[in-house]
Parts: sequence; C-alpha cells; structure tokens
Amino acid sequence: MSEKRNKTLLHCTVNGKERDDVVKDNLLLADYLREEIGLTGTKIGCDGGECGCCTVLIDGVPQHACLRLAATCQEAEIETIEALAEQNRLSALQRGFHEKLGTQCGFCTPGMIMAAEGMLRENPNPSEDEIRQGLAANLCRCTGYVKIIEAVQFAIDELGSKGKAA
Amino acid sequence: MEYMPNFQLHRPESAAEAVKLHSENTAALYVAGGTDMIVNVRRGIEQPENLIDLSAVTELKAITEDKEGLHIGAGVTLKEVSGNEHIVSNYQAVAEAAAAVAGITHQQYGTLGGNLCLDTRCLFYNQSEWWRQSNDYCLKARGETCHVASGGKRCFAAFSGDVAPSLLVYQAEVDLVGPEGTRRIPLAEMYQNDGLDHLTLKPGELLTVIHLPKALAGCPSRYEKARIRGSIDYPLAGAAVRLEMADGNVKDLAIALTGVNPYPQIVKGTDDYAGDALDEESLDKLRDNVRKQAKPMKTTTVAPWYRRRVIGALARRLTAELAG
Amino acid sequence: MNEIKPTKTIGVPTPLVDGPEKVAGKAQYSADFMPSDCLIGRIFRSPVAHAEIIDVDISAAQALPGVKAVITGDETDEAYGILPIARFEYPLAREKVRYKGEPVACVAAIDVETAQKAIDLIKFKYKELPSYTTAQEAMAEGVVNIHDNRERNIEREVDYDLGEVDEGFEAADLIMEETFNCTEIAQAQMEPHAAIAEYDPTRDFMTVHASTQVPYYGHLMLAKILKMEESQIRMIKPFVGGGFGCRTECLNVELICALVARAAGGTVRIVVSREESFITHRGRPETDVEIKIGLTKDGMITAVDFKAIQRGGAYSGYGIVTILYAGGMMFGLYDLPAVRYKGFRVLTNTPPCGAMRGHGVTNVRYAFESLLDKMADELGIDTLEIRRKNLLQGPKYETLNEMFINSYGLPECLDWVEKASDWKKRKGKMGPYKGLGIACGHYPSGASKPVNWSGEPHATVHLKLDWDGSITLLTGAPEIGQGSTTMATQCAAEVLGVDMSRFQSLTSDSKFTPKDNGSYSSRVTYMVGNASIDAATNLKNILIEAAAKKLEVKPEDVECLGEVYRAGTQDEGLTFNEVVKEALVGTGTITAKGNFDTLPESWGTKKYRGGAISGSMAYAYAAQVVEVSIDPETFEITVEKVWAAQDVGKALNPLAVEGQIEGSVWMGMGQAISEGTEYVNGLGITNSMLDYKVPTIIESPPIEVGIIESVDPHGPFGAKEAGETSLVSFIPAFVSAVTDALGVRPLDLPVTPDRLMELVENSTSNKEAAE
Repeated sequence: MSEKRNKTLLHCTVNGKERDDVVKDNLLLADYLREEIGLTGTKIGCDGGECGCCTVLIDGVPQHACLRLAATCQEAEIETIEALAEQNRLSALQRGFHEKLGTQCGFCTPGMIMAAEGMLRENPNPSEDEIRQGLAANLCRCTGYVKIIEAVQFAIDELGSKGKAA
Repeated sequence: MEYMPNFQLHRPESAAEAVKLHSENTAALYVAGGTDMIVNVRRGIEQPENLIDLSAVTELKAITEDKEGLHIGAGVTLKEVSGNEHIVSNYQAVAEAAAAVAGITHQQYGTLGGNLCLDTRCLFYNQSEWWRQSNDYCLKARGETCHVASGGKRCFAAFSGDVAPSLLVYQAEVDLVGPEGTRRIPLAEMYQNDGLDHLTLKPGELLTVIHLPKALAGCPSRYEKARIRGSIDYPLAGAAVRLEMADGNVKDLAIALTGVNPYPQIVKGTDDYAGDALDEESLDKLRDNVRKQAKPMKTTTVAPWYRRRVIGALARRLTAELAG
Repeated sequence: MNEIKPTKTIGVPTPLVDGPEKVAGKAQYSADFMPSDCLIGRIFRSPVAHAEIIDVDISAAQALPGVKAVITGDETDEAYGILPIARFEYPLAREKVRYKGEPVACVAAIDVETAQKAIDLIKFKYKELPSYTTAQEAMAEGVVNIHDNRERNIEREVDYDLGEVDEGFEAADLIMEETFNCTEIAQAQMEPHAAIAEYDPTRDFMTVHASTQVPYYGHLMLAKILKMEESQIRMIKPFVGGGFGCRTECLNVELICALVARAAGGTVRIVVSREESFITHRGRPETDVEIKIGLTKDGMITAVDFKAIQRGGAYSGYGIVTILYAGGMMFGLYDLPAVRYKGFRVLTNTPPCGAMRGHGVTNVRYAFESLLDKMADELGIDTLEIRRKNLLQGPKYETLNEMFINSYGLPECLDWVEKASDWKKRKGKMGPYKGLGIACGHYPSGASKPVNWSGEPHATVHLKLDWDGSITLLTGAPEIGQGSTTMATQCAAEVLGVDMSRFQSLTSDSKFTPKDNGSYSSRVTYMVGNASIDAATNLKNILIEAAAKKLEVKPEDVECLGEVYRAGTQDEGLTFNEVVKEALVGTGTITAKGNFDTLPESWGTKKYRGGAISGSMAYAYAAQVVEVSIDPETFEITVEKVWAAQDVGKALNPLAVEGQIEGSVWMGMGQAISEGTEYVNGLGITNSMLDYKVPTIIESPPIEVGIIESVDPHGPFGAKEAGETSLVSFIPAFVSAVTDALGVRPLDLPVTPDRLMELVENSTSNKEAAE
C-alpha cells in the first residue's frame, strides 16, 4: 500500500459545476478530470506538454492539463471538451470539426478544439495565419491540418453570421 | 493514471512567504508555470519533497513603468510579455523572444521568470528515469560520466531559454529575494558557464522582478531562433541583437546568444564596431566572431557545427536588418 | 406528385458517422475504460540491448502490499507474431532480451504508485551479449546470432531478376546509379497504446479492449499465448487514436495485459507512456537502397537493378513481407522491361519494425524516382515528361511479375498536376532558392492473399434489418479514423437507395460482428466496400421478393426507389416500412450477409518465392508537384504548396478521400523534412513528441487535391486505395524540388537543414577545387 499522501481540499468549477474534492498534492489536472471526475474527453498523448491532446481552458485560457497540478486550480474555472455542447447540441467549432472533417481518429480533437475555443474567445475573427499560431502547440497526425483550418474557419463564419462572439 | 512521485505542495500568496516556505522545508523547489518543471518532476529529474507553487503570488504578475524603466514581475506569462504594447514598441526583441517560446499554449501559462531560470538541456538528461538508468545516468544527475564528451568532467548541457538573450542586450537587472533579503544584480550575473549549475542563485533565492532600463527603451532590437519545427521546439540556437545607428554608423551594438552554451551568453567584442559602417566585410567579421564564441556540443539531435554556423548567420542577418 | 428517386450516397462528401462522438469528447478509447475495480498494470523493461537472462527476481515485488500479480516470461512459453512462418516473439522475454525496452515483467497493483514501487523492486540479472544497432554490424562475419534460426541475422534474403537485365543495360544510352539512406520512421500516432483485459475466473473467459487495427489477429494471438479456446475470448476494438501501421499486428501490450489480468484474477488496464509507445515501435525500417537505371537517350527505361537493406529490429514482425514489397512494388507504375532485385531483411538489437503506411514501398520508390529525376536532368528531358514516356500501356496490362492492373489513372494524374501547378511556365524558372519538383507513386488496394490462409472470404458484412425499419451494419473492419464505417454504410445505403440515417453500425466486437482481417494495406474500402455492396444487394433482393409478393407481381417487375417499391410508374407502391413488414412475415428479423473474395488472377506471380506479396486486385496511382523555398543562410526549407493528384478509382466519400490524401502527403512531408528515430547504444533518444519531429501546423503547407477517377472494374463502385499512395510520391517530389532550388541533390532522408547546408558547402568547395 502506498504511503500517506499529502492532500489538498480543492474548490473549483468544472464545466459550470462547483466542486469540492480532496485531491492528492501530486495529482495532475488531467488525471483529476479523467479518473476522479470521469471526464475522459480530455486525452493524454505524451509524457508532458508536447502534443496538446490534454488542452483544457482554465479561466478561459488554454493550458495543458498534464502539466498542471489539480491542487493549484483553487477557485479556478475549468472547461473541458464536454462543456462545449449546449443541451447536446454541438457548438459551431464542434460542428466545423465534424462537417469539415477536422477530425479523423479524433484523439487530438478535444485538445485541438479547446485550443481553438480559447483562441476564438480572444480573437473572434482570426486570419489563417493567426489560426495556425493559435493551434501551434497541438499536434495532429491524421489530417495534415488542412481540414482543421477549414473547420475553424467554418466556425468563424457560423459565429460571425450569427453576429456574436464565440 | 500518470505516475507522479510524492511531494507536498505549498501555495504561498506572497514572495516573502514563498521564500520562508523554501527555507523551512527540505528538498524544496519553486514552480511557476510548470511547463518545464513538472515535466522534470514527472521524469524523476527533479525529486522535490516540497514543491512551492508560485501561481497564487499575485505580486509577481505585474508590469509597471516608472522613470527608471520597465519592471516585469517574474510571474508574468510569456504571452503577456509578447503582447504588452510597451514591450513590443520599446524592447522588441523581448516580445519576439517571448512569442518564440515552445508553442502558444505554453506561452499562456509559462512565465518570464520560469523561462529565465529554465534548467539547461541535453539529450542524455531530458529523458525518463528508466532511460537515464539504462544509460548509467550522467554527470548532471546521479551519474559519473558525460555522454556528450565522454570522459569529460564538465557538463555541456545547453541553456535553452529564449528570452534571456533579449533581456541581456538591454542590460536588464533582476531582483532576487532570499532568506537574507533582497538583492538586485545584472541579469548577466545570474548565470555562469556551467551546465551543472548555470544559475548563481543562492539557496532559496527567488527571482521576483526583471528591470529594463529606460535609457535603452526604443533602441531597435530583434530576436530569432533556429529550430526544426515552427513551434514547440526549444532553440537549437538563438540570437538577440540590439543596434543603435547614428549617421549611418554603429553607435551601440549588443548581441547575446542562447542554445549554444550552458548559459545565455553576451557576445564579446561588439564595442569594437562603434563608429563603423556596417558593410559586408564587417558583417562577415561579426558573423565569424559570433561563431567563435558559440560552443554548442552534441546536446541535441542536430549537429553542433550546424548550430554554430546558424548562430553566426542569424546574428549577421539581424544586425544587417537593424542597420537597414 | 414529386418524382421519387433512390437516395444517392456514393460520391457525396459525407462527414463521418462517428464524428459527433469525437468532437463532443464522448468517443471512448482504450484508456478511457476504467471500471472501479480495475488494477493498474506496469511493465518492467530491459535496460540492456542484448543479453541472456539469468534471473528475474520478483519476490520483493510480489510481497509488496497492494500488488495482485507479478508475471515474467515464465507466464507463457507460446510465441506470437503476425506471420505464421516467423513467430518467435514472446509477450515477456524468455531466455534472452534482444532490444532495450523489451518487456521482461509486468506488475498488476491497486494503484499506479504501488505498481511503480513493485517495478522498482524487481531484480533483473543478465549476461550481456554483443549488440548491433545497424544492419551492417548485424550482418558482419562472426556476429552473435540474435535468434538461433537466423544465420548472420538475416531474416530474409530476396534475389530475383525478371526480363533480360544485362541486355537492357547494354541497350541503354545512359546508366546511372546512386545510393540512398532513409532513416527509420515512427508512426507517432496520437494515442499511446492501451489495453484493458477483464478475466472472469468463474467462466474462464477473457474480454479485451485494445488499441488495435487488427482485433482478429489479436484474438488469435491471445488464444495462442493464453492457451485458451478462441471461443473463450472476446476482443473489442473501441475508438482508436490513429494507426498508420503501428497496430497492424498484435502488440505485446494487449498480450501482457491479458496474461497479467488472468494471473491477478481480475481486470487490468495498461496504458503505456509515449516513450513506451515509441519502444513498441513497428515503424518503417531504416533502409539503404542502391539503385541503377538504364535509359535510352529518349528517356525510355531499359533496365533497373536495385538492392534494399532493411534494419528490421529484434523480431520479424511483418519483416519478410516488407522486404518483398520493396521488390515487388517496383513494378506496376512504369513500363519496366527488365528488373533485378536483391533484398536483405536484417535483425538488429533495436525495437521491431512493422508495416508503416506506404509499407515496403516508400523508400524504394523514393530512390527510383530520385534517380530517374537526376537522369532526366542529365538527358535534358523535362522531369514530368520522362514519366509520361514510361507509362504503362494500360489500363489492361500485365507486369513482369504478373500484377493484375485493370485501372490506371496515372496519365490523368500527371495532366492534373501539370496544369494545377502551372508546371510548364514555372518549372526551372522559380528563381534562386525556390524550386518545383515532381514524382509519382502507387500502392495496392489490399493484399490479395491473406496473412492467415483459412479459405474464408476476405471480407464479410452483415446487415440486420428489423421491424422498426432500421438497418444495423455489422462489420469487423476496424474503424481507426479513416472513415471505414462511413464508407461501408455509404455502400449499403447506395445499393438500397435509402438515406444513411436509416443505418446504425457496430464495428469490431468479436461477440457481435463478423470477423475481419483488419485495417491495413489499404484493404478495407476495396474488400469491405464490396462485401457491403454484396450484403445490401442480398437484402434488396429479399425486399424486392417481399414487395413482389405484396404487390402480387413478379420480382423482376418491382422497381426499387429506395423509400418506395413499386410495380410500375402508375403504381403508388409500398413504403420501405411496408416492405419490411411484409419481408419479416414468417421469418422475423433479417440478417443479410455479403462477402468479398479476391480473384486468383490477382494473387501474384509464382516466378519467385514470395511473389504473392504485392499481388492486389487494384492499384491506386498518384502524381505530385511540390514547391519549396529555402533560406539561403540557415537552409531551413519551407514547403510552400503541394498539388496532389491521386487516382482513387472512384471517390466514394470525396470528403474522406481528400482527408486521406492530405494526411498522406503531410505524413510523407514529415519523413522528408524532419522525422527520424535515433539510437545511442540501442537506446532510442527520440522517444518523445519533442524529440521525434512530427510537423506542427506552422510548417504544414496548403495542399490542393486532385481526385482522379479511373473507375476500377472490380472495385466497389470503381473505388480503390486512397490513404497511402500520396505519401509515397511526396518524398521524391520534395527532393526533386529541393534539387531544383539549389542545384544539388540530397540523397539521404530526412533532408534536414544541417544536412542540406553540408551538402551545399561540399558541392561548392568541390566546384572551387575543380576550378
């Protein structure tokens, strides 16, 4: 049996729901989300910060859940891929990735969409170059990124035509 | 579930509290954004018993300006640095360097202080515990030999932070808060040419503020790095150049390098160019001078000679561009 | 009254049927299954490249509280491997370890900390042996054999010639030869390998979820190494995060997981790290290619003589197939009158290679196309034109090695890229440090002879039609993101003329779905697509019979309009649901079955041993033009634009076909510009997503895709391969462009800035010396 662990009482909001959880000091946010809460949409694709699959929003900012300790998310607002659909209706970005085939195997997709979500909240109308910059920390091995850019542009058009920000 | 070694986490809310926690606890380490530190903890490179997380220390997150110059808190994120209008217009190389670190996501929570205190890197060091154990460890951590220069008793791990050279060409100074109080030193003195121990920080000292002098504000500068990919990668070689011209001649030239030595290095001999016009010949001489001072070793998969060639080319190109 | 028409599905860009789950974060991959009673498995790996095992002491690990099982090579003496003739790999090493990182023991414990602590308590005693990390070292005289039955570590030597090779060279006006080195490549699929095995001791039953492209082969190997009846195992492939060939054979991860689950009497999850995924490997072998081509002064090929040496790693895997593909696939792209091939597949003390996308073909094609390019320059023939001159006289054509070629859209691919890239105006006139290059490639649509010969059809699809009018498509074909389930659904929907919304699907669960050989060698669209058409045709016939009965007409008088079946234009007809109700009378739920089998004519040649490899029902063709620019100081290369034309026979789903071509082009780019594994003393030093350089979005170019449709006579609606061919053609087209930009030709891959700078400087200093 493992030795006694240092623990912290964590108060945070995950996908709009307030939580109070006792978490081990060394628990990574990615594991907190996946294994403690069961939000397995956030993926782990590397051994630390190299692939972007685990990207989530913390207080609206894209971060790697695999390099963040859960206990440091005190009072933070965390959003994962599971938060984007409203009443099961896919968001514009999610529809873009589906309809434009921005997703093939789908493993990088949650992180990619969350990075794009963070980018669009800050800049609702990015140029192609800005889209590339905004997704530059997220690797995809299937698409060659061509349709990922198209997927984000689809969402920009959708959101733009509705006249509101992401 | 990812394997993580056990440690106790502390979340101080002030720099003073952080320093106190550090001195009161054994095997303590500071962590800011964690983009590098947490990777090293996961790999067993760092084995802290106590981890002092700085993310709640709000006093480190401010950028202020006064008559003396600009003061950037060590906890300011790299994205804030690259997007700060004052930095973009007055200390351009600093903004460019911050925007060149890793990828955009890392920049959004990685901090300026963290980038300056980044551990040196080497192919034989930045590996998993199993890997290093299978390779008899190395001089830098728990081993007897260097795999870069076999038989060597010096560590050649390369400093790989992007932002330090840009701050060095602006003669930045830093505040260090430690158990014995606060001291302010030139950033250049925070480093030494030793891959094992490249920071001159005393035990428990914390980098809190980076000062950029007003006198040099607006002086033109650039930063460029060579890397394999357009994102995510550390610099294979990076150069910051600050150049002020007067009447078509060099008035003030400063160059600093990263990725090619165990510490971010100010290129010597740039004073010699004062008063010179920068023609092709003098630019070639400058390039060769930079190459001579860069001493990359086989710490990356890319050949050291290439990194030396490129660092010269980058320094030359940036200087020529700044000269107009 | 609106005209009623069957719904068209084929040729319509169609988002993937399983897309919504992926974008919503609801798609469950192997690592996402975590029942509360699940134990954590961790693997102890060899720290040494080649050694005799003296002892694996697990006593302290077993004694640790919280540890439920510790197993070693003693757990099973059954070997596994994809090829029945080369099965000598054990899930956990026995007697010897043969590469650094080879699994030696496995722990199952209540949590990850306990599992790691137990791993740290394992004592591994061994006697080190000489180890070899290059093919040349491993093949040298006097080496220690890595396997007893493989003298000088040669896994397979291939040696044949077809046509009059010496006469061919005699007839040539220009003969040139060149040697190319292509670095080892890893798939670097985004999902690290994972498996969860649930052992039920009461029933002696094993259920395994695994990240695999071949659940059927996995099922076979599980039964073998567990010594269990195949019927006592259920194999499930959940969502899979990319394959590219790293999962086209059963991996040790799922085997070890099942072994340790049985030992622990419970459920165990193993999710390996990114580093361990690289160690598990099965990538493209490092290959040295020596090639000689003879041309007439008009640019016609008279003979080809080439040799390939592949560093295969410590176990066979697909190795024999890979070295045979490298030879056999020289044919079928151009008209070759005479070819000599010598191939060596070599065993080394590095992680085992496998069947990576563009299997066997990629590196040899690169060498051939590059040399042809160089010779065209020498003869003053346009590099696009020289390819036109050597086209097959198709489409009905038989190669020297008896390939079965019935569709050949390469001429149209060349036309397309020539026009789209404005080749005639721009080639050779790009200015300094800018270049355009061209190359071609081809790839089979599945191997016509299966790995395990059982006499069963190549593919089987079931369509279950029930009282509610819904159709469930059941296929064993592993959906790995390529869109195979969408494709199979489209094929069935098209035949029935109904909307795809009538369909649901169930894939790759041995409890429900018919067996399928797996997603590899671009077999699925061709084979499973045809099986789906067959199943839907059979179902349609049942429905027509039922409609005929209800309408009181002969079946041949019934017209199927998808949602309506009628006996004549004046007839109001029956709705689909009415027909279904009638069809179920007296029989209940209907399952229609469809099969596909290859034609014996496509089984390859008997002229040399292993001639079945590269035999396929159809080949896809590609031509590509690449534009680059190069930084004159740092030699960093920017791929500015790619024009990629591929003859896919028929684009069943143009959206997915584009996605496959773009992805292939881009993956080829990775191999060309930045990717490659490196080893130091047998230890991989590039086993992370930081050090193994998969391109980011920043340096990834715009890709314009030209879909060419030659309509293969045997393909499903004329379709063939879409997901590998364009990878093959990118690499030589890129090197051709770099050569156009700099005037010197890189030979070795990847073409990194440091290699390029060295090449240019050497060439400049050579020129200066000559002057």
